[in-house]
Parts: sequence; C-alpha cells; structure tokens
Amino acid sequence: MQISRTGRTLLAAVLVTGALAAPALAQDVSEETVNYFKANCTSCHTIGGGRLTGPDLKGVTERQGPEWLATFIVNPARVINGGDAYALELKREAKDQVMPTLPGLTKDLATKLVELIVVESAKEKSRFVGLQLSDRPLTEEDVAYGRALYNGGTAIASGAPACIGCHQVDGTGGFGGGRLGPDLTDVYSRLEGRKPLAAWLAAPPSLTMQPIFADHPLESDEVLSMVAYLKSTAESGRPTPGHGAFAFLIAGMAGAAVILVGFDLIWRRRFRGVRRRLVMESK
Amino acid sequence: MVSDFVLFGVLPYVAMVLFLVVTVQRYRQSKFSYSSLSSQFLENKQHFWSSVPFHYGILAVLGGHLVGFLLPDAILGWNAVPWRLFLLEATGLSLGLLTVAGLVMIVVRRLSSSRVRRVSTIADWIVYVMLLIQVVSGVLVAYFHGWGSSWFASSASPWLWSLVTLSPDISYVAPLPLLVKLHIVNAFVLIAFFPFTRLVHVLVIPNMYLWRKPQVVIWNRGGPAARGGGR
Repeated sequence: MQISRTGRTLLAAVLVTGALAAPALAQDVSEETVNYFKANCTSCHTIGGGRLTGPDLKGVTERQGPEWLATFIVNPARVINGGDAYALELKREAKDQVMPTLPGLTKDLATKLVELIVVESAKEKSRFVGLQLSDRPLTEEDVAYGRALYNGGTAIASGAPACIGCHQVDGTGGFGGGRLGPDLTDVYSRLEGRKPLAAWLAAPPSLTMQPIFADHPLESDEVLSMVAYLKSTAESGRPTPGHGAFAFLIAGMAGAAVILVGFDLIWRRRFRGVRRRLVMESK
Repeated sequence: MVSDFVLFGVLPYVAMVLFLVVTVQRYRQSKFSYSSLSSQFLENKQHFWSSVPFHYGILAVLGGHLVGFLLPDAILGWNAVPWRLFLLEATGLSLGLLTVAGLVMIVVRRLSSSRVRRVSTIADWIVYVMLLIQVVSGVLVAYFHGWGSSWFASSASPWLWSLVTLSPDISYVAPLPLLVKLHIVNAFVLIAFFPFTRLVHVLVIPNMYLWRKPQVVIWNRGGPAARGGGR
C-alpha cells in the first residue's frame, strides 16, 4: 500500500505527538505523590496485588468516581458516618476497621492519589503490587531470628531501632517491652495474617514510626522473620500491656533508696550543727 | 498542625535566643547576680536531704539526655541487650525519683522555714513550679511510656538535630503522647525563663567561683528586696 507524502507527514506527526504525550502523562504523577502513597497507603492497599487490610485498588475508579474517592480519602470517617452505602460496605469488608484520616492530606493531594491509582491500574504490573514475600512455610529459625530483631540482639540491617524500645510482646521477660506503642503479641491476628502484617512492617504507616522507618525500612527476610515471630506470639501468648511496669517501679524506688544511703555515707562527716550535740552532752 | 509547629518548630528557637541574649546581657549588667544566693546558712538540716538528691539526680538525668542527643547510636547499641536496657532505664528512673524527692523537699523547706521563705522571690516559686512539672512529667514518661532511652534516640534526637541544622522536622515529635509533649515544651519554656532566675548559677558552677571576687550573701529582713546581688 502506498502512503501519500501528506499521509506520511501526518503519521509522523501523530507518532511524534504520541511519543511526547506518553511521558507527559506519566510525569503528571509527581514523585511527591508517589512517595506519599508509598509511605501512607501501601501498608493496607496494593494495586493489583490483592486485598490487605483494605481493598485492592486496581481499577477502583470503575467502582466509584474520582470525586467520591477523593472525598472519601480525605476523611473516611466523615463519609462513613454520613451513612454513605458504599462507604459502609467498605467498612464491613474491612471488619469494621475504619481507614484513618491522615493529617495534612488535602483534597488536592487526594485527587492526585486517585490519578496515581488510575495510572498504576493501567499497568500490567504496578509498582504497588505489594511486597513479594516468599510463600514458604515459616520455620523455628524464622521465629528465632524475628525474636532477635524484636529485642535488638540482631540489629536491623537498615539501622532502624529494635521493636522492644516501644512495644511489648508476651514473653519478653524482665521489665517487659516498651510502652510507647501498642502491645504486639496478637498483632498477627489483629491484622489478619501474614500478608497484611508483612505489608504493615514493610512500610509502617503509624505517624510515630513513619519518619523513622521511611529511611530505615526492613528488608524482605527481616519482614518474614518478624511475621514468623509475631505469628508464634499470637498463637501461644496473650497481650500483657503494662507487663513488668510494677517491677520496674519497685526497682527504681530501690535504686533511689540505695543512692540516698550512699549520700548519707559519703557525707557522714557533714556539719549537722553544734547546739543539739552540746545540749545532748550536757544531759 | 499549626500548634505543633509553633511548639516544636518555633518555641525552641525563641527559647534559645532568649537564653543566649539575656544570659549575656545579665552577666554584663549584673555579674554578682550570677548565683543561687545560697540559703544553706539559714537552714542546714533539711538542706542536705533536699539539695544533694536534687542536684546529683538532675545532673545525672540531664547528662543522660545529653548522651541520647549526641550519641544516639551508642545508646541504641547499649540497649541492644534487654538486661542492659532494663538496667539503664531502672537507673534513669532511680535518678528521676531522687530528683523529684529532692525537689519536693526543697519546696517543703522553702515553705516550712520562715527564714528561707522570707528570702524567696516570685521568680523562685515560678522556677519550682516549672521544675516540678518537668521532673514529675519526666518520671511519668519513664513509667508510662518506656523505654525512653531507646525512643529518645530514634525520635527526639533526630528532631533536635533538625533544629540544630535550622531545618526543623517536627514529624518525629508531633505524634508523641501528650505527656511527652508537655515534658518537651516545658523544658524549652524553662530554658527561656532560665536567665531571669536563680538557675543562672548552673552556668558558673564551679569555675567562675574560683577566680571572681568574693561574695558574701547577707539577707536583710526585707528579704526579696535585697536580691539585687549579695553585699
């Protein structure tokens, strides 16, 4: 088939325009939006990787319009409390867990997040398909390694702090784990299993952990071992928030008493006044 | 939140500027007011059991905070073995309780000894209230939100360094519990108030006492009115 010169020119123009337009579409999604999604959304959602705590977001705009989605993302609780039927259905599917309202998330950013989901949904394999963890059975070695990561015996490769600093897990012993964050003994069952817990550990979304772990993420084998350890505690332990707190208080008071006795001994020759001694001696 | 930014991104700078400017200015204008104006001569028995535990306690606790700020990795390394973490935390709690006990004794002594009460100023009482808030909230944080030695190194230290590098990142401290926030905010209010009070003696112990002119503290019956400096 012969293509006329005009036709060839038109075809070239279309191809060039198309080639220029494609990266322009990709560039619409800013790195800031991608990083926000990575830090705040991937612990509960995948795009094409199946359900975690929240639904798989692939093709979500086919289920609800972008405007509805952006409104919901900004303040899920408000939409749910407003009685929206679809939002209530999402809540039921998440076993009554309500998606948190993220501070600083504006309608504009929520709209950009929806655009990112559209772009990623169109890909055969999204970069947010989720952590590709091994499906192999978890072993006793995994549990032991996870326990060592929890209590700091084995350092987390990225330099992230050990979990014991903020979290209690049944069986910690001594004065127990930290009391800044929640007890993690049954977190495996609370988050409903291996995959959601792994996603959580890969990108902790809590506001306290996020700034620390954004630059110090856990590696895949560390996530798997932590999952193994927390699965074992969920199966054999029970949450004991406040474990060791009383013993800790007693130890602190005993330590203070010992130091006070030490002060008295160190300064036993201190000046105590002369009058009382003279009065005593005169009797 | 705006309030978090004001408290953790602005207040620390305001406090440090006040601290530096007023400290220097006060020293230039009123050198001999750099003293705690000891009241040991007026009452000595309770003084030992209040002053000694308080001062050694708070110095050790402040030293611990300083190490956490300067060498956070060393603290996390020490805490990598649970018994060492427990030992450090129990020692910190002991010193905190010692500080609280000493400070309570200091306040009781000020209230119960009429001679000491007479030489106490409004600024002294404000200092005691702020110090009480500081040390009591510190002990409560240690008890209810352990293990502070670990999470101070991973949350508070990066925030403090972000302040030092003039790029405040409040995301590390904004989500912390209310009690921790109270402890942090009160610390900076205390730093801001520091140069206006008897706390300036912290800056001259013990070095300046070694070479400056002798100072004899004699309290007049007027008490607080005589506090422009010893004579």
